[in-house]
Amino acid sequence: MNGPLIVQSDKTLLLEVDHDLADACRRAIAPFAELERAPEHIHTYRVTPLGLWNARAAGHDAEQVVDALVEFSRYPVPHALLVDIAETMDRYGRLTLSKHPAHGLVLTTTDRPVLEEVLRSKRIAPLVGARIDPDTVAVHPSERGQIKQTLLKLGWPAEDLAGYVDGEAHAIELDETGWALRPYQRQAVENFWHGGSGVVVLPCGAGKTLVGAGAMAEAKATTLILVTNTVSARQWKHELVKRTSLTEDEIGEYSGTRKEIRPVTIATYQVLTTRRKGVYPHLELFDSRDWGLILYDEVHLLPAPVFKFTADLQARRRLGLTATLVREDGRESDVFSLIGPKRFDAPWKEIEAQGYIAPADCVEVRVNLTDSERLAYATAENEEKYRFCATTATKRKVTEALVRRFAGQQILVIGQYIDQLDELGEHLNAPVIKGETSNAQREKLFDAFREGEISVLVVSKVANFSIDLPEATVAIQVSGTFGSRQEEAQRLGRVLRPKADGHQAHFYSVVARDTIDQDFAAHRQRFLAEQGYAYRIMDADEVLADTE
Amino acid sequence: MSPETTAPRSLAEALRARDDASLSALLRSRPDLITPVPTDLTQLATRAGTRASVVRALERLDRFTLQTAEALAVAREPATYDELLGLLAGDDGDPAATAAFPHALATLREQALLWGADDRLRLVRTARELLAPSPQHPSPTGLGPTVGEATAGMSPGRIQEIVTAAGLATTHDSVSAVASLSALFSDRSRMSALLDEAPAEAVEVLSRLVWGPPYGQVTAEPAPHLRWLIARGLLLPTAPGTVVLPREVALHLRAGRAHRVTQPVAPAVEAATVHGPGAVDTAAAGQAYTTLATVEELLKDWHEGGPPVLRAGGLSVRDLKRTAVALDVPEPVAAFWVELAYAAGLVASDGEADERYAATPAYDTWLELPAAERWARLASAWLAATRTAGLVGGRDAKDRTLSALGPGLDRSSAPEVRHRVLTLLAGLPEGASPDADSLLARLHWERPSRAVRPAPDDLRARLARWTLSEAELLGVTGRGALSAQGRALLGLPAPAGATATEPSGPGDKLPAHHKRRAVPPVTAPPPHSPAEQAAATARAVALLAPLLPEPLDHVLLQADLTAVAPGPLERPLADTLGVLADVESKGGATVYRFTPASVRRSLDAGRSASDLHAFLAAHSRTPVPQPLAYLIDDMARRHGHLRIGAASAYVRCDDEAVLNEILADKRSQEFGLRRIAPTVLVAQADPTTLLAGLRTMGFAPAAESAEGDVLISRAHAHRTPPRQAPEPVPDGPPVPDATLLGAAIRAIRAGDLASTAPRKEDPAAGRPGDGTLPRTSSAETLATMQAAVMTGEAVWIGYVNAEGAASQRVIAPIRVEGGFVTAYDHTADEVRTYPLHRVTGVAELAEDQS
Repeated sequence: MNGPLIVQSDKTLLLEVDHDLADACRRAIAPFAELERAPEHIHTYRVTPLGLWNARAAGHDAEQVVDALVEFSRYPVPHALLVDIAETMDRYGRLTLSKHPAHGLVLTTTDRPVLEEVLRSKRIAPLVGARIDPDTVAVHPSERGQIKQTLLKLGWPAEDLAGYVDGEAHAIELDETGWALRPYQRQAVENFWHGGSGVVVLPCGAGKTLVGAGAMAEAKATTLILVTNTVSARQWKHELVKRTSLTEDEIGEYSGTRKEIRPVTIATYQVLTTRRKGVYPHLELFDSRDWGLILYDEVHLLPAPVFKFTADLQARRRLGLTATLVREDGRESDVFSLIGPKRFDAPWKEIEAQGYIAPADCVEVRVNLTDSERLAYATAENEEKYRFCATTATKRKVTEALVRRFAGQQILVIGQYIDQLDELGEHLNAPVIKGETSNAQREKLFDAFREGEISVLVVSKVANFSIDLPEATVAIQVSGTFGSRQEEAQRLGRVLRPKADGHQAHFYSVVARDTIDQDFAAHRQRFLAEQGYAYRIMDADEVLADTE
Repeated sequence: MSPETTAPRSLAEALRARDDASLSALLRSRPDLITPVPTDLTQLATRAGTRASVVRALERLDRFTLQTAEALAVAREPATYDELLGLLAGDDGDPAATAAFPHALATLREQALLWGADDRLRLVRTARELLAPSPQHPSPTGLGPTVGEATAGMSPGRIQEIVTAAGLATTHDSVSAVASLSALFSDRSRMSALLDEAPAEAVEVLSRLVWGPPYGQVTAEPAPHLRWLIARGLLLPTAPGTVVLPREVALHLRAGRAHRVTQPVAPAVEAATVHGPGAVDTAAAGQAYTTLATVEELLKDWHEGGPPVLRAGGLSVRDLKRTAVALDVPEPVAAFWVELAYAAGLVASDGEADERYAATPAYDTWLELPAAERWARLASAWLAATRTAGLVGGRDAKDRTLSALGPGLDRSSAPEVRHRVLTLLAGLPEGASPDADSLLARLHWERPSRAVRPAPDDLRARLARWTLSEAELLGVTGRGALSAQGRALLGLPAPAGATATEPSGPGDKLPAHHKRRAVPPVTAPPPHSPAEQAAATARAVALLAPLLPEPLDHVLLQADLTAVAPGPLERPLADTLGVLADVESKGGATVYRFTPASVRRSLDAGRSASDLHAFLAAHSRTPVPQPLAYLIDDMARRHGHLRIGAASAYVRCDDEAVLNEILADKRSQEFGLRRIAPTVLVAQADPTTLLAGLRTMGFAPAAESAEGDVLISRAHAHRTPPRQAPEPVPDGPPVPDATLLGAAIRAIRAGDLASTAPRKEDPAAGRPGDGTLPRTSSAETLATMQAAVMTGEAVWIGYVNAEGAASQRVIAPIRVEGGFVTAYDHTADEVRTYPLHRVTGVAELAEDQS
């Protein structure tokens, strides 16, 4: 009894990483437990019903889970917990959605009382058709997503074995000249293809786009790619042309400015969720072609209307890509039921250790407000308080000092407030990219940054997602969207792409001391600290002194 | 029993013939017979025949013994050994029943429920009355009355008709007719011959009634096959439209069996799964550790005053909910922990005016014990407790909610059931968890419910279920199987290869036949002596101690501001860390999170930043992460920056010298002055006192208002709150009004009537007007009252009130019931109710007056 694992009563698992058996244990528990925090000594995994069902979907059974816990646990595992795990896992697969040769889509059960129980639910009743035999009930094909979503809420997740339509075939090959899919990317593609539909979780900068391209090469069918914004859409297009046999003409962009529908179409969430007179005019895009694969970039940002529409697309293969399954709105269960179970997951630190993402040095720089600023802060209206402390003048001095310190490297300055960014751009003599900057101008500036023509770029939150700035090695964050954890992760992701010269990446967060800025920063950092990125704290004075 | 020269003629004689060992066995199994100790054997026999005692004894019989008693209750009295055996084993002689029968008989005899030699077996009369079937209380045997009972009251002519129809010769009288009829019904071969002639539908009717209930409905014009049966007495009428299957006929059809199913052998407890014994013991130890942690956490939660005690006693539902949330367990489990702490004497009501629950001094002593001993205390308290946490949340007979720690949770059978369940577990192979249903079946066999259709969830079954789940929670069992430490705690010997001697239970002193019994005797928990109990506890402690995790002296600090204690911590470390950080997750390990609030809490508790750094450095296996050090320093920097205190008045003066002077003056001491700034003093004295005091010291202070202006003092008028002018006080009482006068006169007249009314001559009673109360016997009082209710006349009564004051009243009784008379009281001019026992006597009023 000296295992590396400690099972807690709240169903978290604590894994001592320095233990000899830690690696074996990690492999044993990873299929069913969600890594929640990975700081330096003890990693925390959580056993949730979703995680257990994910494991069931991946072919693990309760016995394996119980064995893993009992084998590696340092202390006796509470019997009640083991029973609970077995019971929870047993709930998955009692109900199955499948294709019936005569009746189309049917819901069958191996346990009649369960079927009786769910059929009595008011929410299920409108979704099902005639009872075919005591164990089978017909389901309208259009309700395939809806019924999965509802069954999950009732605690009886259905296994979807109804299969997929192949969609309109379209030749797509990976063009692996001069590069190759990394082993974990290959593994992710394989897991996804084997599972049919699902989500791949990879850190920012770990090459999620290539996982998408790999999946397309497997599907060899027309593909709809949903991304967060136009810049990201261009990025995808660029990458696909470069890495696959697809040509510019085969890839269409469906955004606010262009409405092209081609064998591979990249659409933005924004255009899909545009609403006119209470209807979503662009949702018909989903039906405009016989898509064989639908790709969701940044699943954790998927807007609610897209979920709704995804429910009707259950016969198509779906691949979700994300850096984190944490959703600020808590709709993780919808991702599970509508897009699919998690098919692949690799902790950030592991990929960093393999050298695929750059190691990062995270620093929180604390600046003191001046006395007059403190007085002004104290008297500011509540809703203005964050803006006030986040844009304090001292931050500008610190930012300038940091830019001076890393002179010669590619530096991104990221912020929330346009006034502050404009002022910084002026002082640093650097271009500013913000909401009103035209897409053409943005691309031009990004290209220049990429080429090294400009070394400092000031960006607002428009650059939060999916723009690829390969050579940025330093990011300085001066303000953010309050306490958003995933924004922090995205911003760190900006500097995590592997550097040509193996440079260490630097991520600076400039924070006003003793204000709500500091509280928000603590909240934002929690996710990264839990991923094993330890923040150092520096005083502004140290930074200023160093560079003088 | 022992051979006798003359057969005993009564239970008392049968008892007298017993030896001491046999009598003590009786008294051990029925301890209610010696409270108080009877004076002689006759009294003992009488007491053994009282209904309450017999019911108690019957409820404690196992199923087969009870079935034997039930069979005897339907047998001829007195019955012979073979007759009774026939009823249980049937005509074909069930070998299992035959084997178990002598023991069942001996048990009944030992318990004085049965007496007489083997050829004259008699059930104690009360037991027979309880067990014999009657229309109101059908017997579990499903048998009806005998022919003799069913034909009592039937006309002799009708009886002779039946006898003739059954093919028997007519007799001179009904008694011999009934006797020959029952002889026919009891004779298997003649009876078979008779039934062979029966129409098929009639046989079908009989087969429907044979296992009971034996009563059937018939119409006024029965169908031919029913007529066939009724004519031959195979169905006898009991009431218009109802017929009954006589006992003899039913027994014939049942091949002599009194019960459809006899259960001579106790059902075995089945093992559900078998775990390795090591796994069981460690799992149990893990749970034992959780028990200790939970009880400590509970009392820590209640450390600074627990929840209030409800007026009716106990914990409110809301407080239980809150406790459940705090302990992160479901409410029933929270109720169990609370009750456990209470049973172990660790928590109690503080008895203050607004009662609250709090830890007892015993808790502090308990905390000092080693972990294994702490567990043994809790587990022993649980074993012996009659309070049952499982009832919490249910409702009592008066539909009041049963609250945790509240009244009404005691169930006297709880310790016995717990002990029995665990003893049965001990009978399984080591490491085997029981199949709950077989366990319940066994318990039910040992103490069957006497109801014809027993509720599936009677108290014993529920107690047994609770025992299983609670034993698991406590760590007496692990993964369902009895752990070694649990076994030791029960005082049971180690399972195999152990040399420990059998504990001295009642089994040792029982008569020899008890020893042969395959089933261990079902008795109350063996009465351990304190020394034996202590030895058992010590064994359990010794077994458990090495299985409990050792307390650690270190934690792992991490950059995400958490600390993980990978096991139980030493108490001082846990206490300090509990203040410095919030507990985020519990279990084998504890995860703490440092937050600004938690660090401030620690600073408030008097720690300095350097203390905290030193503490963390000393107890961390790894370097203290920088963000944590920053957090502590940041909080320490701001901690105590603002100071707040209370003062009653202040003195301010721009001239610091004057303030120095005041402070230096001895006379200023009484004001509690303190300098908080060069030009400000604060005082504990109120402003008026301070003003006056400083004036006497020769200063000329001015008072300041809240806004800082100088208060101008000038004389102002002093006023009372609004007041009424005094009422004039006239001489003597006010003149009464007409209503009052009328009422007064009526009262006076009625009183007069009561005291002067002439009444019928009765030399024994007093006389109205002579001041004496009427005296009659209570029977006479009652009769007179009832007569007065009928006639509606008024009567004269003497009445003694609750204070003992006697009075005379004239009342017109309306109703007499339940020892009270409700009457219109002429004296008081209203309807009142008098307890009859307070009425000294009653006399009728003379005619002319009423």
